[in-house]
Amino acid sequence: MRLHFADYLIIFLYFVFVIAVGFIIKKRIKSSNDFLNSNRSIPLWITSLAFISANLGAQEVLGMVASGAKYGIMTVHFYWVGAIFAMVFLGVFMMPFYYGSKARSVPEYLKLRFDEKTRALNALTFAVMTVFSSGISLYALAKLLEVILGWNFDLCIWAAAGIVMVYTFMGGLTSAVYNEVLQFFLIVLGLSPLIIVALQDAGGWEGLKANLEPQMTHAWKYMDTAEHNKMGINFMSLIFGLGFVMSFGYWCTDFLVVQRAMIAKNMSAAQRTPIIAAIPKLLMPIIVVLPGVVAIALMQPALASKGYAIPMGANGEIDYTMTLPSLISHYYPTGLLGVGITALIASFMSGMAGNVTAFNSVFTYDIYQSYFVKDKSDKHYLNVGKMITLFGILFSIGTAYIAASFNNINDFLQLVFSFVNGPLFATFMLGMFWKRTSSEGAFWGLLGGTIAAAITHGLTLAEGKGGWIAPMFPISSGMGQAFIVASFSWLANFVITIVVSLLTKPKSDDELRGLVYSLTEKVYATEKKWYLRVGPLSIILLIITILLNFIFF
Amino acid sequence: MLKKLNQLSFVIGLFFILVAIILLVGYLLGASLKQPINLYSGLGMLVFGIFMVMIKEQEEENHS
Repeated sequence: MRLHFADYLIIFLYFVFVIAVGFIIKKRIKSSNDFLNSNRSIPLWITSLAFISANLGAQEVLGMVASGAKYGIMTVHFYWVGAIFAMVFLGVFMMPFYYGSKARSVPEYLKLRFDEKTRALNALTFAVMTVFSSGISLYALAKLLEVILGWNFDLCIWAAAGIVMVYTFMGGLTSAVYNEVLQFFLIVLGLSPLIIVALQDAGGWEGLKANLEPQMTHAWKYMDTAEHNKMGINFMSLIFGLGFVMSFGYWCTDFLVVQRAMIAKNMSAAQRTPIIAAIPKLLMPIIVVLPGVVAIALMQPALASKGYAIPMGANGEIDYTMTLPSLISHYYPTGLLGVGITALIASFMSGMAGNVTAFNSVFTYDIYQSYFVKDKSDKHYLNVGKMITLFGILFSIGTAYIAASFNNINDFLQLVFSFVNGPLFATFMLGMFWKRTSSEGAFWGLLGGTIAAAITHGLTLAEGKGGWIAPMFPISSGMGQAFIVASFSWLANFVITIVVSLLTKPKSDDELRGLVYSLTEKVYATEKKWYLRVGPLSIILLIITILLNFIFF
Repeated sequence: MLKKLNQLSFVIGLFFILVAIILLVGYLLGASLKQPINLYSGLGMLVFGIFMVMIKEQEEENHS
């Protein structure tokens, strides 16, 4: 792939704009609350698009296209079984607690609901996870640009980190959120022409169905048993593992995304943020799943004349990660190629900036202010927040080089993240909806769930991964293994939390007011127009989601 | 004009108008950019950019 002047000009223009956003926002930053929480003043359309864009990082864009190529239309389950239901649940049931409790972060909510040790456990693991995720994003960006464009790896690392540092240091969370919205439009508009031309080349949807085996174009039909589909799981594992545990665990408890709803102007806007975000999320498979399915169709003998192929990896097998870059390279001429490459760069930078801003909020409020330096002036915490942003970026660069030095570090870290994130939703669900849940129950449940995840991984083997205790249960795909690990960790957390809670003393009703469903005044719609209300919007979304599942059954 | 830079929709619109200009001017003048996909994408981005620039963001103006 070779870029020309017009391509470089578009990439340069993008860099100028993201840095300019930082400078424009800078004058609004007067307090730590402005820098770390955007002073809860961001309009609904921006929080909604930032909510979805914070998740639209490299893993989402490259990963989902790769999964589309590997597993086919089944990949839409991440959206139409997982994300949409979880986002609606967050908006309707959980935002009233996050926003109404006035907590500045998810760990701070855990402190209010449970105690310091549960907050510390969540804050520390989250801080480590975000800084590593940010570094892995950076590494993946530099590696991709080195492979497809031949750019210098070190230069890519430092230039990308430098740009993210400039705009997050200048404008804090608001700057990151504003750039996420720009990145969202860039990714959608930059990749839309690719879908149109590639799908047309493959003969449209009918052409896909004619050229691919039926498992690739049906979402549910072959999920009766694990042996009948490429993901290697049945519909029960999918609904519980992905639809419930993993999706609800991510969308409802991960501060990286929840933070975007917590900075809305009022409770109504905070509740509607994930629900409005669910509308573009519903359509996102067109941008990030369909290209993968089209790519595999284009490689079939009947379409060999199109001259497209996904590159092979060093092991001689298809390198699915390269599906999207290879499609861009095949279909985009000079000019649009610059837009496509910029969209890829934007997705990586979006992921990195999202992680850094979530990291500096949690580190400043939940670690530094809580355990090291209390009761200082706001100016002090503003300066600390800015310094933490710099350190966060530097840690990310360090992590990127660690990732470059160890072949398996990415896999290992993703695995550890899944151990920590998997069981977390059980803690929140019980904490928010069962007032008997005690602080001891939450803490030991969380630890027990993480250990259960590690044990399940040690006993299952998929695609050469896991089975480090004893490979007793073979699973045909890594994705199926992830669902099963998450399911067991959630169940362990759920059971341990209930048992320990019943044996220990819960907090009093007075302490739990506003933090638990049964002790919180219900929020009723204040908007006069029905389409601005959370209830009707949620019902319409869920009906459309169910219909889409039937259409692509 | 400078005040408008405080509006995110204006900034996004401006970005896409400039990208569209690069694609459209390139299509008209440069041989390597003379591809229909550049023309159609450029026109699409131009329409989107103008739409975003025209949006009035009252909430955002409070910051300016």
